[in-house]
Amino acid sequence: MAAMLLDIGGVEVGYGRTQVLRGVSIQVAEGTHIGLFGPNGHGKTTLLRTISGLIKPWRGEIRLRDELISDKAPREIVELGLIHVPQGNQLFREMTVLENLTLGAWTERARAKAKDNFERVYALFPRLAERRSQFARTLSGGERQMLSIAVGLMCEPRMLMLDEPSLGLAPKLKDEVAEAIGRIAKTGVPFILVDQDIEFLMGLTDQLYMIDHGEVVLEFASGQALDHRQIMEMYFGTV
Amino acid sequence: MTVDVPAIIVSGVVLASLYAMMATGLALVWNTLGIFNFAHGIFMTLGAYIAWTISDEAGLGWGLAGGFAIAVATMIGGGLATYGLLVKPFQNRKDIVLVVVMTTLAGSFFLENTGRLIWGPRLKQLQRVVEGTVQPLGVSISAHELVIIISTPLILLALYAFLRWTRTGSAIRAIAQNQDSALLIGINVPRLYALSFALSAGLAGLAGALLGGIRFIVPNMGSEPLLKAFIVVIFGGLGSLGGTIVGAYVIGLIESTSTYFVGIYWTNAVMFAIFIFILIFRPTGLFGRN
Repeated sequence: MAAMLLDIGGVEVGYGRTQVLRGVSIQVAEGTHIGLFGPNGHGKTTLLRTISGLIKPWRGEIRLRDELISDKAPREIVELGLIHVPQGNQLFREMTVLENLTLGAWTERARAKAKDNFERVYALFPRLAERRSQFARTLSGGERQMLSIAVGLMCEPRMLMLDEPSLGLAPKLKDEVAEAIGRIAKTGVPFILVDQDIEFLMGLTDQLYMIDHGEVVLEFASGQALDHRQIMEMYFGTV
Repeated sequence: MTVDVPAIIVSGVVLASLYAMMATGLALVWNTLGIFNFAHGIFMTLGAYIAWTISDEAGLGWGLAGGFAIAVATMIGGGLATYGLLVKPFQNRKDIVLVVVMTTLAGSFFLENTGRLIWGPRLKQLQRVVEGTVQPLGVSISAHELVIIISTPLILLALYAFLRWTRTGSAIRAIAQNQDSALLIGINVPRLYALSFALSAGLAGLAGALLGGIRFIVPNMGSEPLLKAFIVVIFGGLGSLGGTIVGAYVIGLIESTSTYFVGIYWTNAVMFAIFIFILIFRPTGLFGRN
């Protein structure tokens, strides 16, 4: 069997004494896009933070193309091209859009591609090009979300992890962000997309995982038809 | 009674320059690492002593330029060591701010008494950078003080340019604004923490070497400026380097005015009264954001 792009094996982690993830195993094959959903506070963000090295797993291991990354520093994981776009407009607020994007190309690998990537993100989000000299804190919620994703793209990702990019966005903006993510998917960058909105995920991913109480409780192909009742059941149990 | 306004301004601006150099370093570390370094004052003291040992005839007698250079270089190393020994081991703790108050205070006492052992109780004074007095704009002022007044803004401008226009500088600002995001774009955060600490300590060492030419060098010469630097940082507004610099000049001028009219013994009381009064109306300081 060919090596998986990302192999998460039995990861357990928590904060202080509180355990959040109770043995999560997920495999991501090359070229695929997977979605994670589930109720708030059940470990989706924690899983991404563990993968990107911000927190160290208590047990279990994470491999990127067979290379063990769960003992690496975030910087080393970024250098390998695994890029985490965090939740909730985490940006450098007192810097301009241009400065934010420039910083995105921090690693040597990303800096070499910075020129192409600027064109790429400005084509993907023309609004950022218009606002390039504006401070990040003056952007609207949707624009900040776009900038977050754009900074991730400036990192020259070999794989992306997007944490709730549709969080708090109005439907029209949500569609805009979804379209951008769809275009990223077409360029062949694999990703893990976390969101609460299953419909949002279905249109953009191949495989979906539901995370509940720190475990993967359900896995299915995104093409599989689900009706509204089934989704409600996933969140709330049998209605 | 005639008021000697030029004298008040000159002595205020000299004080302000030293406070600005001290407070900027303190603020740089606070903004980047989120901690207050209580060993910052001892960097100033050691800077003065080392400059004296290197330059003075009673020491090695290598000249003032060598003294300044070695003092600053040693303090840069001292800053790195302080970060590595007293800050870094505790950085994953939730109570880091308090723990580092303890560790840096302990380090500061340790170094102060080590200094007392090495250099003894006898007062020392550094040579002045330039001897004699000059009279720009008809005001008589010692040349050394004029050097302090002019060089401080230049040094701070260089620091500003570094933070504003270099890649490393903008990474330091990025860490100050959002540490997680800085980690997630691949910035080597611990290394830039160390660099901020080193820059800050180097500035304190330079301030000490400059102060050593106008005041006696004693083992606790850094504690008063450290206290003032804390006031300046909070007064100017946490998180704003520009605010810190403006704050330094305001505090320096208040101090010299108060010393002139009220006398040196009541000056700290007057300063704290003004400080508290202003914080009542502007709790985040002059330029601070919430």
